[in-house]
Amino acid sequence: MSIFAIGVGGSGAKCLEALTHLHACGLLKNNSGNSVRLGTFLVEPDQQSTLLARAETAINRYQKMHNLLDNKTEQFARGELRHYGNWSPLSNSAGSISLDQVFPKAVLRTQANGLAALFDCLFPPEEQSAELEVGFRGRPPIGSAVMSRINLATEAQTGQWQHMLSDIQSAAGSGESPVIHLFGSVFGGTGASGVPTLGQMLKSWLRDQGLNSVRVHASLLLPYFDFEGQAPEDTGVHAEARNFQLNTDAALQYLRSSGKTCFDHVYLIGSDIKARYGFSIGGRTQDNAAHLVELLAALGMRHGLDPSTDGAYAYVLSRATQNQITWNDIPDGEIVGEALARGARFAVAWLSNISLELDAAQQISMQSLLTGAPWARQFFQPTGKASGTQGGRPSIRNADELAIKTAIDSYAETLLQWLKQLTSNTGTGFAQELFSPNLLQRNSNYENSLAKVVCGSARPTQEERLDTVDAIKIRIDELNPEQIPHNGVAGLADTIWSLAL
Amino acid sequence: MRPTQYTWLGITFAGGIVWIFLAQNWIFLNIFPGLLSIGNGLDLEEYLQTGSSPSFTFLWFSCVTALITWVIITINGQPRNAAEVRRMRTGWWIASSILIGLGLLYQIFFTVFIWQIRGNTPIEGSGLNYYPIPAVGWLLLIVFVILDVLLLFWLPTLLASPRSYRFVVPGAVKLFGGR
Repeated sequence: MSIFAIGVGGSGAKCLEALTHLHACGLLKNNSGNSVRLGTFLVEPDQQSTLLARAETAINRYQKMHNLLDNKTEQFARGELRHYGNWSPLSNSAGSISLDQVFPKAVLRTQANGLAALFDCLFPPEEQSAELEVGFRGRPPIGSAVMSRINLATEAQTGQWQHMLSDIQSAAGSGESPVIHLFGSVFGGTGASGVPTLGQMLKSWLRDQGLNSVRVHASLLLPYFDFEGQAPEDTGVHAEARNFQLNTDAALQYLRSSGKTCFDHVYLIGSDIKARYGFSIGGRTQDNAAHLVELLAALGMRHGLDPSTDGAYAYVLSRATQNQITWNDIPDGEIVGEALARGARFAVAWLSNISLELDAAQQISMQSLLTGAPWARQFFQPTGKASGTQGGRPSIRNADELAIKTAIDSYAETLLQWLKQLTSNTGTGFAQELFSPNLLQRNSNYENSLAKVVCGSARPTQEERLDTVDAIKIRIDELNPEQIPHNGVAGLADTIWSLAL
Repeated sequence: MRPTQYTWLGITFAGGIVWIFLAQNWIFLNIFPGLLSIGNGLDLEEYLQTGSSPSFTFLWFSCVTALITWVIITINGQPRNAAEVRRMRTGWWIASSILIGLGLLYQIFFTVFIWQIRGNTPIEGSGLNYYPIPAVGWLLLIVFVILDVLLLFWLPTLLASPRSYRFVVPGAVKLFGGR
């Protein structure tokens, strides 16, 4: 089964970052329990956005790791992912651009009488002249004006849109019921204008193509953060926290009246307790940490894969305790908790121990390594020869194996960073009972204890002193060869993944 | 520890008792009597009873103590990495060297020193205040001390070192490192 995620704006990109990690943890599955094929696409006028770069880093690192693993795993990183790239609604213009360049008044005047006057009426001069390379500056009307110029039928002939839309066509043509899921905030600029516009365009494009089996869903982020501090006076038009509620009200009113023309399902997720981010106009300085709301928004896509949800339109969430979130507040908390706990524990065990062991193994003989690491013989040639195989096991120094290790290192680091941000950035007076943020980081001390990485009900019930990386290594050593279907670094990672919980 | 390791520990422990208290004396008496008492008036049976046996009993006790200590340390170990596990090999070599040294010391003590401390002679009328073991006899005793340490310490630690310490004992990787 194929699913397609479109992240619109900075918050949309952050949701795709979360979605990538959910996919990596095996949480996007079809009815038969098989991993789905996820396609990702980012829509962002601010091409310098750190949030965009971060989402693409997570996507690219997972994709690279998945490709290098090349199906040599049973459970680890099984989910296929195709990234269609990022696209800017201003991509047709070179250099910085403003609204009055998108809609030149001279041209408007020639097209229809009064159109230029209407333009002046809708957009004050500072909005008309504001440069849009940093995004739509928290102003949905600017975004709507730009987005409404997109012609999906034309875009479908070329570039990233063509690749994605033809994959949607192929998936629908092969009898699947693909899901397109849009992510974005309704209180900023790009998401608020882009998500409904793109939703509506996609729906009408699908209708024109006769692709009735394709469903269009959306996770719409309601206000969940505030800005710390004020923008400098010379910033010009910019997103202001005091407008968030106004933008949200307008978006929800639109959704109530026209929502069904855009989406089959919507997931509305926000937070009454706001995270605090430093003000940024956009670009590289906008480095808002990941937030739980984005995880919940990404889980909307998982929920939408369940055919039993077909009847309803809008979904909302609540939590049991005012100032705290636990695994019980997460939709499908038991399964999601288990998968994320496995991911977190794997990443800690891998990055802060196993990967260091593999690095150290490059400096010593295999004989010497095995003296202290009996588990290594299950995956690597005990003779330590640089080439050839013995029982299908590659050398621990094999360049291809080291490339896989580096790819796993990179992705695991990204996953840990995301989890750490997610659990550190909850907002004042709001606690999370999901992970221990201080343990979600790479260290070179050969971290052994895993007992406190996960909190709450997803935490393994085994005795604390036995919940160690060493215990996992011992279990690996005790496995029969038949229980280890894959060798090399891929086999090692796969086995650690399955034993991590 | 795996069940098979407990079994091996039991087998090697029982085998050690049989070796030290029965087999070894039988070998000295029936296979190497000439090497221990070449024309020096030594009553081999008496030597085995008062000199050799006590010294090998002490060695057995030392080896069992070292073995129990090794098992306790390794069973409770929480090594962070392979390097930490490998460091235990140094500990193993130190223990083995001490055991061999102790074994030789016990032999010298019960063959020579104990008679000099007591101030009497182990062979009536000889005037000697020690057992007159020939050089080749001493060589045989040294070989048996080393053999005993191998049987009483190396073999059980090789077969029954638990968890991550499974391959720390010399020879373990060669013998069990395959799959």
